[in-house]
Amino acid sequence: MATIFEKILEEQNKEVPRVHGILTTDKELLEKWFYLMVLGRALDDRAPNYLKQAIGWSYHAPYAGHDGIQLAIGQVFDKTTDHLYPYYRDMLTTLSAGLTAEEIILNGISKDNDVASGGRHMSNHFAKPEWNIHNFSSATGNQTLHATGTGRAMKKYNHKGVVFCSQGESSVSEGYVFEAINGASNEKVPVVFIFQDNGYGISVPKKDQTANRKVSDNFRGLKNISIIKCNGKDVFDSMNAMLEAKRIALHEQHPVIVHANCVRIHSHSNSDRHELYRDDYELNYVREYDPLAKYRRLLLRYKRFTEEELVAIEQRVKDTVKEAHKSAMASPDPKPESIHDFVIGPAYVSQKYPEGLHDGKGVEMKLIEAINQTLKAEFRHNPDTFLWGQDIANKDKGGIFNVSKGMQQEFGAERVFNAPIAEDFILGTANGMSRFNKNIRIVVEGAEFADYFWPAMEQLINTSHDYWRSKGQFSPNITVRLASGGYIGGGLYHSQNIEGALITIPGIRVVYPSFADDAAGLLRTSMRSEGLTMFLEPKALYNAPKAATLVPEDFEVPFGKARIRREGKDMSIITYGNTTHMCIEVANQVSSELGKEIEVLDLRSLSPLDHEAIVNTVKKTNKVLIVHEDKVIGGVGGEVAALISNEVFEYLDAPIMRVGSTFTPVGFNRILEKAILPNNEKILEAVKKMLNY
Amino acid sequence: MEKIALIYSYNTRNTANVAKEIVKAFGKSVVVEELNAEDIDGQKFSSYNNLILGVPTWFDGELPNYWDEFVPELETLDLKGKRIAIFGLGDQVNYPENFVDGIGLMVNICKKAGAEIVGYTDASGYTFESSAAFSGGKFCGLAIDIENQGDLNDERIESWVSQLKKEFR
Ligand SMILES: Cc1cc2nc3c(=O)[nH]c(=O)nc-3n(C[C@H](O)[C@H](O)[C@H](O)COP(=O)(O)O)c2cc1C
Ligand SMILES: Cc1ncc(C[n+]2csc(CCOP(=O)(O)OP(=O)(O)O)c2C)c(N)n1
Repeated sequence: MATIFEKILEEQNKEVPRVHGILTTDKELLEKWFYLMVLGRALDDRAPNYLKQAIGWSYHAPYAGHDGIQLAIGQVFDKTTDHLYPYYRDMLTTLSAGLTAEEIILNGISKDNDVASGGRHMSNHFAKPEWNIHNFSSATGNQTLHATGTGRAMKKYNHKGVVFCSQGESSVSEGYVFEAINGASNEKVPVVFIFQDNGYGISVPKKDQTANRKVSDNFRGLKNISIIKCNGKDVFDSMNAMLEAKRIALHEQHPVIVHANCVRIHSHSNSDRHELYRDDYELNYVREYDPLAKYRRLLLRYKRFTEEELVAIEQRVKDTVKEAHKSAMASPDPKPESIHDFVIGPAYVSQKYPEGLHDGKGVEMKLIEAINQTLKAEFRHNPDTFLWGQDIANKDKGGIFNVSKGMQQEFGAERVFNAPIAEDFILGTANGMSRFNKNIRIVVEGAEFADYFWPAMEQLINTSHDYWRSKGQFSPNITVRLASGGYIGGGLYHSQNIEGALITIPGIRVVYPSFADDAAGLLRTSMRSEGLTMFLEPKALYNAPKAATLVPEDFEVPFGKARIRREGKDMSIITYGNTTHMCIEVANQVSSELGKEIEVLDLRSLSPLDHEAIVNTVKKTNKVLIVHEDKVIGGVGGEVAALISNEVFEYLDAPIMRVGSTFTPVGFNRILEKAILPNNEKILEAVKKMLNY
Repeated sequence: MEKIALIYSYNTRNTANVAKEIVKAFGKSVVVEELNAEDIDGQKFSSYNNLILGVPTWFDGELPNYWDEFVPELETLDLKGKRIAIFGLGDQVNYPENFVDGIGLMVNICKKAGAEIVGYTDASGYTFESSAAFSGGKFCGLAIDIENQGDLNDERIESWVSQLKKEFR
C-alpha cells in the first residue's frame, strides 16, 4: 500500500494529458483564443481611459499576465451545466466564458443594464447570474464557500456539472478559504478551485502569506483532492490543466486545485503604484513574459498564422471595441429612486393569517415542540428543504437542544446532516447551495449558540448584499436558527443576544418569538419566503410551560407584525423574547395591586418592525416603556424609541424609558447574571416610575 | 572531439556569464560554437552531436520563454546519437522547492527525443527542498547558484568541463 507521501509524489509527477498544443490544436480554435485574448487586453488596456475622462471604471484590477489561465477557465466553463465564481481580476475569464465586450464595458462604467448588477456593485466585478456566472463580493476569497455549497447541491441533485471558483494566491490565507476547501474535500464535491498566483497581494509578496512558495502545497494533506500546477502565462498548459481538472471533478467527483503561475504586469489596481515596491529589473521581466505576446510569437513561429492574418484579427477586435464602447456609452444610468428595489427577496404572503393571529384552536405545544413540528411539516411540504448545523444529527441527538430531534430519521442524511465546527462555512455553503435552484429552502442552525455565530458574520454581511447587489437576480433563501439569550446560568458565551447588531444590516430579516404559536408561524413564513431570516429562539423558554400555547397546524405569522399579548390603557410595554413573559407577569401584578392596566406588545419581528402597532399603542396609552434582554445601549429599543419620537412624539405624556441588560458581558455566577439581565423587579421599578410620572 | 554547440540566450546576464566561463574552461583545443537560444531552430540544433544548453529556472520552476517556445519543435526532433549536457542557474535560498528545475525539465524533453544526457554532477554542497533535476544524489546537469554560492562557480565549472571532455565524443 502506498503511503500518503508516496501518493503525493506520484500525483506531483503525474503529467496532465496534452490535449492541446501549438502544433496540434485546430486552427479555428487557435483563432478564437487569439481573438478573445486580444479583445480582453484591448478592454483591459482601455479601462483606465474611462477613469481619466471621468466616465467611470474607478476600480480596475488589470489582468494582464494572467491571460493563459483566464482564457482556459472561460473555455472549459459550460453555461448549460456549470457554475462559475470569478473574482475581481477575471475580465478575460468572463469574456472567454461568453460575456460580450459591451457587457464588460457596461459593468466597467456602472450602467443600469450592466448584467452583473445594474451599476450597483463596484466596477471590474464581472458576472452574469443568468448563466450562473455569479455576482461575487469584493471580500477576497469568500466565494470559495459558495462554490463548495453549489458543489454540494450538484451532488445532492445528481447534477452533472462542475463549479469553477477563482481567486488570487494571497487570499488563500483567509481562514474561510481553508474551511471551504476542507469541506469540499470532506464532501467530495465537484469544485475546481483556481489560484491565480501572481506573487503579490497588492504590495505584499507571497512569502509574507505562507511558508510554502506555492500555497496549493498547503492542501497536500487533505484527502480526496487533486492539485494541478500549470503555467498560467501559457495558453496550452493552462487549457490542458483546466480540461484535466474538469474531467477529474466531473468523473472522479472530487475537488481539484489548479495552481496557475502568473505574473502581474501592471499595478494591483488603479489605486496602487507598483513602482514603489518593484524594481526596474522585475518590471521589465514581467513585461517580457506577457502571455499574449508569447501566444502570438508561437502562432507565427509554428506557422499556424501569418502576420497578415493576425493583424486582420487585431483589426476586427478594434472594430468590436469601438462598437461596444459606443453602445455602452449610450446606455442609461441607474435611477436614484431605484435604491429601495431588491433589498430583500419577497416574503411569503399569508392568506389565512394576514395579521399572524389565530382563534385559539390547535394542539398545546411547548416552544421547542412547535419549532420541531413546524420544521417537520415544512420538510414534508417542500422536498427541496435542507437542514444542517453542528450536532444536528446523530442518532437520537438533534441539535444541541434537540430542537431538530427525529429530523434525520424522517428525512434522511441527504437532507439533514451535521456540519463541521465552522460557522462561516455553515452559512456560506447555504448561500452557495441556494444558488443552485430557486426552490431550495435551507435551514441552518447557524451556531450551537448565538454566541458562536460571530465567525459567520463575514458570510452574513455578504449574503445580506446578494439580492440588492445582483439587482434581484439572486436571493439566498435561508433561515438561520440561533438559540439565543440568557437566564440559564450560561455565562459570557452561552447567554448572548446578538439582535442589536443584526438589525443594523439591511437585506436580512430578524425575528424573535416568545411563544410557541408565534415560533411556529414565523418559522413557517421564513421557510416559505425568499431571502434570509435570522430566527432567534429564546432557549430559556424551549421547555417553559409559560411559553407553551395552542398551535394551529398551519399557522403563519407574517414578518413585521407585532402582537398585543395583553390589552391595557394606562401605559404600554414594548418587548420581545424572554422579557415578554416578565412584562406580562409584571402587568398582571400591577393590575391586581395598583389597578392599572398595562398593554404588552410583543414585537415578534425586529426587522422589519411593525410601525403601525408601535404607533397605535403609544397613541392609545401615551406612555411607553421598552424592555428587552439585550443591552440597553445599542439594543433594538433605541430604534423603537427613535421611531416613536419621530412619529408620535406629541402623544407622549412621559419620556420613553428602557430596561435591558447592563453594558457588560453576562457573568456566569448566578448573582452576577441576575445583576446584569433584566427581571420582573427591574421592570416593575421602571413601570412604577412611569405610572407616577 | 567533435565541435560543441553551446546554446543559451544572449539576452541573459547570469547565464551568459557562465557560458563565457565554460568556453574559457574548454580552452583552445576544443571547438565550442556559441548559439543564441532566442533564435535557435531544429535544423541548427540537429547539426551538432555535442550540445551544451544553458537553462536557468524561472517563475517557481518554469523554463524561460526562449526555451519553452522551442520545446514543441524540439520534441519533434530525433536526437538519437546526440550527447547533451545542461547547465542551469537557480537560487536555492529563495526557490528551494524548485531549485534548478529547468535542468530537469529540459533533460526529460531531450531524453524523450532520444538524446544521451551527460554531465551529471554530485548534488552535495547544495541545500534545497526539492528539484526536478535531482535524483539519486545527483543533478542531471550542472547547477550554478550565482546569488548564494557565486564563489564556487569557477571550481564547479572547471570540474564539469573536464568531466565533459571525457563524456563528449
Ligand atoms: C521570478 C523569478 C523566479 C525564479 N524561480 C526560480 C526557481 O524556481 N528555481 C530556481 O532555482 N531559481 C529561480 N530563480 C532564480 C534564477 O534562476 C536566477 O536568478 C538565475 O541566476 C537567473 O539567470 P538568468 O538571468 O541568466 O536568466 C528565479 C528568479 C526569478 C527572478
Ligand atoms: C476580506 C478582504 N480583505 C482585504 C481586502 C483588500 N484586498 C483587495 S485585493 C487584495 C489582495 C489580494 O491578493 P490575491 O488574492 O493574491 O489576488 P490578486 O489581487 O493578486 O489577483 C486585498 C488584500 C479585501 N478585498 N477583502
